[in-house]
Amino acid sequence: MSPEPAPPVRSARAREFRRILAEMLKIDRVRGGLVVAADGLVIAASLPRGVAVEPLAALAATLGRELEVGADRLKRTPFQAAHFSADNGTVFLGSSPVGFVVVLGDREVNVGLVQWALRKALASLEGAWGTPAQVPARPEDM
Amino acid sequence: MGFLRLLSRIWDTITSLTRPPNAATLFRRADLYRQEGRFEEAAELVAQGLRLAPNNGVGHLLSAYLHLAFRQIGPAKSEFQAVLQVDPYHPRALLGLAKIALEERNLAECRPFLDKALQYYPDFPEARALQEMVAGWTTAAAAPGQKPAYAGSPIQVEKLKPPAGGREFVLTQSDGTLVFSQHGDKDAEDLAAHVTQVYRIASATLQRAGLGVLRRGVVQAATESSFFRSNDRFILALSFPHDVKIGFGLLETDKLWTNSLRELGVRA
Repeated sequence: MSPEPAPPVRSARAREFRRILAEMLKIDRVRGGLVVAADGLVIAASLPRGVAVEPLAALAATLGRELEVGADRLKRTPFQAAHFSADNGTVFLGSSPVGFVVVLGDREVNVGLVQWALRKALASLEGAWGTPAQVPARPEDM
Repeated sequence: MGFLRLLSRIWDTITSLTRPPNAATLFRRADLYRQEGRFEEAAELVAQGLRLAPNNGVGHLLSAYLHLAFRQIGPAKSEFQAVLQVDPYHPRALLGLAKIALEERNLAECRPFLDKALQYYPDFPEARALQEMVAGWTTAAAAPGQKPAYAGSPIQVEKLKPPAGGREFVLTQSDGTLVFSQHGDKDAEDLAAHVTQVYRIASATLQRAGLGVLRRGVVQAATESSFFRSNDRFILALSFPHDVKIGFGLLETDKLWTNSLRELGVRA
């Protein structure tokens, strides 16, 4: 039987997810976020009080999968990022090999800035798996 | 006796380090890897474990999850079904099959899986969230073999012209009934079904996060960006090439939305 790999490698991805989430939470008016696998497994989460992790993760993963499956059915290229706004805030969703990065912003959140930061975070995740995606240098270039 | 016990404990420790791990140990390690997003290594351990214990429900459940993580839906479905062979009421296997049915837009199959999962495990937050989401989904009535048709006032199509660069313009009711599409035929039906599904799931997600009902959305892909606009009754979607500025796309989508509501006789 193969032995377990060395500990430093073992936690590298988990650390990277937590780091990305922490970076997103530093943005003004961002209230929370999570990283969820396509099967609904929560890998990292920090949500406002009163928002339960598991139900939100289940719905966000379902939304991410619909965007993936729908694009495939319609013969479109896979989605990279999305955001959906309501009267009181916005949900941002980014696609990565491991699953979906979800960010919650309040009604005053700078949508362009979060989109750009999310694309940058996703590119760094992609880099850990293969070729990083191209991201514009500034939010206003998006 | 104390010395012998100590010797026995030392011997157990040494042999546990040298003997191959059993299936339970492999599955436990695999689950830890999975929680760290190390799916490839987790899958290898699960495969090893299932070779040792081919009928182990935990192993099949982990295998199903990992197939889902790799977006291998057929094998995931088979593995969830293998779990149900061992335990017909396994809530996580039932939830997994419900999610797959949802992806396949098979609502009739999805609902019973959720109901069954919650029948024995009513405090199952993920299943509850999905059940509450699909409970509100209505399907437009139609005669057998016919697609539901929009029954509102007729629309002057020439007034709903998408802007330059805009494509795949589609307008649906929130129950999925196609109101208007830039393209005719089956592509329009598929697009309308996708747009409706995105609207429904995004609305449920926003509401679960305490943010309200979906009003606007943007989905960015490598070759196009799609813009959504909606109220409680109608959903509009419009795509542009990927290099469109988001501000321009939102503005043009808003204009088309206003025109569409005017044509439909609905107040904005």
